[in-house]
Amino acid sequence: MSAMRVDAKVVMLGKESVGKTSLVERYVHHRFLVGPYQNTIGAAFVAKTIQMGEKVVTLGIWDTAGSERYEAMSRIYYRGARAAVVCYDLTDSSSFQRARFWVKELQNCEEHCKIYLCGTKSDLIEGDRSLRQIDYHDVQDFAEEIGAQHFETSSKTGNNVDDIFQKVAEDYNSTAFQYMTEETGIDLGQKKDSYFYTCCHNN
Amino acid sequence: MRSVKTTEQSRLSGIMSQRTERRGIHVDQSDLLCKKGCGYYGNAAWQGLCSKCWREEYQRVRQKQIQDDWALAEKLQREEEAAYASSHGAQTQSHAQSTAPHSVHVSLGPFSKFEEKKTNEKTRKVTTVKKFFSPSSRTAPKKETQEGKSSSPSISRHASFDTDQVSKDFVDFLKNLQKPGREIHKQCRAFIVNMSSKKDLSADELSECVQDFYQNMSDRLMGHFKGSSDSVEQVMDQVEKYIMSRLYKSVFCPETSDDENKDLVTQNRIRALHWVTIQMLCVSMDEEIPEVSENVVKAITDIIEMDSKRVPRDKLGCITRCSKHIFSAIRITMNEPASADDFLPALIYIVLKANPPRLQSNIQYITRFCNPSRLMTGEDGYYFTNLCCAAAFIEKLDAQSLNLSPEEFDRYMSGQASPRFNSSEGDWPHAGSAPDVTATNPVLAQLNHNLELLSGLSSKQERLMEAAQSLQADLLSWPESVQREVHGILEKYPLEIQSCTASAIDANNTDNDNLPPPLTPQVFAG
Ligand SMILES: Nc1nc2c(ncn2[C@@H]2O[C@H](COP(=O)(O)OP(=O)(O)O)[C@@H](O)[C@H]2O)c(=O)[nH]1
Ligand SMILES: [Mg+2]
Ligand SMILES: [Zn+2]
Repeated sequence: MSAMRVDAKVVMLGKESVGKTSLVERYVHHRFLVGPYQNTIGAAFVAKTIQMGEKVVTLGIWDTAGSERYEAMSRIYYRGARAAVVCYDLTDSSSFQRARFWVKELQNCEEHCKIYLCGTKSDLIEGDRSLRQIDYHDVQDFAEEIGAQHFETSSKTGNNVDDIFQKVAEDYNSTAFQYMTEETGIDLGQKKDSYFYTCCHNN
Repeated sequence: MRSVKTTEQSRLSGIMSQRTERRGIHVDQSDLLCKKGCGYYGNAAWQGLCSKCWREEYQRVRQKQIQDDWALAEKLQREEEAAYASSHGAQTQSHAQSTAPHSVHVSLGPFSKFEEKKTNEKTRKVTTVKKFFSPSSRTAPKKETQEGKSSSPSISRHASFDTDQVSKDFVDFLKNLQKPGREIHKQCRAFIVNMSSKKDLSADELSECVQDFYQNMSDRLMGHFKGSSDSVEQVMDQVEKYIMSRLYKSVFCPETSDDENKDLVTQNRIRALHWVTIQMLCVSMDEEIPEVSENVVKAITDIIEMDSKRVPRDKLGCITRCSKHIFSAIRITMNEPASADDFLPALIYIVLKANPPRLQSNIQYITRFCNPSRLMTGEDGYYFTNLCCAAAFIEKLDAQSLNLSPEEFDRYMSGQASPRFNSSEGDWPHAGSAPDVTATNPVLAQLNHNLELLSGLSSKQERLMEAAQSLQADLLSWPESVQREVHGILEKYPLEIQSCTASAIDANNTDNDNLPPPLTPQVFAG
């Protein structure tokens, strides 16, 4: 029962079918599945170990249920996350509206969570530029405004997929180091409003 | 077909009896209430009492246990000393030393125990204690035999046997750490004693105490292990196990919290949702596949078992095992690994089906007292979070969450209607195209058959009821009509009562009309 120790919790957020599961699947298993079961590939939780020079960082990647009927519960999911990969589909402008919603949620509820904006399915727009509905520079501006990182990925070709998670691990590593030196390892201020006092019950 | 039917029937009845067994605890209201008759709900884990009565009843026992735990710690220490001494002295001598104080401890009252403790304290200060956490290699073989002795059945301390074992395990584990191990043990013991004096704290405050302790402990360990998180985690797991086994009784569903009420609300809520089908939740598990239903049963068992564990991590373990079985069930059904989209609905379904005892208390307990690093990030934490989601979903569940109209939802909720088993068969993600699943699916056919039988029975019963009611009406009106009849006759033929007095049969004034003619002597010729 001794589960793998995990350093940082990373949640995948975004509208249904933007490609969250595919992104994790590509990153962890280096594959992209198409077929009738394509939206059921992958697993819900994966732990991925990344070598960072001499150090090793283990990311726990949390996939979330995309269906709208569980949206009210998603706050429970991202509580305590150190990083959130907020996905939107480059060929679907409505998905970016949802991404903005998640960003706002995270800013309000999880100030310690770093945000990574991820435009998915870049292979589609490479094939046909007219399919692009979200401008790169608009998102870049938005990212700078909220202090987030910004990537465009393709789970089909694997483009930029490793990079985004590598960046997550690097950032975690440097902030973890920062915590260590500044406050002897612990952020006590975070404690009161953390996961442990609220969970899914608002008391 | 006959034989198929009977096996199906037996399988069905098997499922039914499983279900009633599982849900048996809810059936009889009087069984649920506190045995003390205070009106609150009791709980099997509290020997049928409610939390309040249980607490009062066992306050004394608990006090004793704390004493016992202390005594045990002392005992373990003495055993260590003895073991150390034996490594210098003769084998036989060591045996005498190790068993003697033990039997004294069992047979004598608290006063002598106190004395013992005092003398022990003295010796501790001398030299032997330094070897408390001495490297195990030297003492290991001796220890084995002593353990055999100390767990002999003559010891009448069943109640704290589990915690004894936990203490032993903890000490064994810490021995490998040598000097810091001793320090950890001391800290933990001091903390437990400290906590036992804080009975009136709120649940959140209790949680804060424990979490602070974890925090301090892991900070120190972090320094000691020079930043090796794996080693720290390993020790923290043992610390959690030791501490929470001791504190469980006083901090699980504490008096000061609302947990017990929440448990009741959730339990009733789940019972009221008994009609929710696997199709309404869009769960990708096909329970007609034996292997799938096996996993479903295991998942249900695991989640129910959670309530029986004391250590938060062990409770998490139950949730994780339950989740793994769900993943297996989905994988077998779909022929593909499951994702979060499949998992959460399936977990909700399992929770509805299991109605796990004291679900809210358990969630709260884990949240408050689990080592945070495990809860926040790891795989166990992921499944636990999903369980929290499932509980929240069930709490808020409405027509929309099941894709039902509000009218339908209300009718099911009030029990006026129940969803037909075949009405939503098209929702099966994999069986989708089959137009008549009933024809190809013996279980569904059997279910439909049973439903027909049931509705036949219910209409028969209705008729019977009507007949019974008219019979009852008849019976009620019968004396009336008889009375009326009698009355009518009486009116028609009024009784003329002549004044008369009671008389002896042969008195002079006897009314001769009413008597048979007097016997007259007859003479027979001849
Ligand atoms: N061409 C292309 N299709 C993708 C990509 N990522 C996901 N998809 C497709 O988008 C659909 C939804 O993907 P999924 O990972 O299930 O989305 P989720 O609901 O966010 O988990 C699937 O049909 C995928 O095959 C991508 O990078 N390129
Ligand atoms: Mg998905
Ligand atoms: Zn009571």
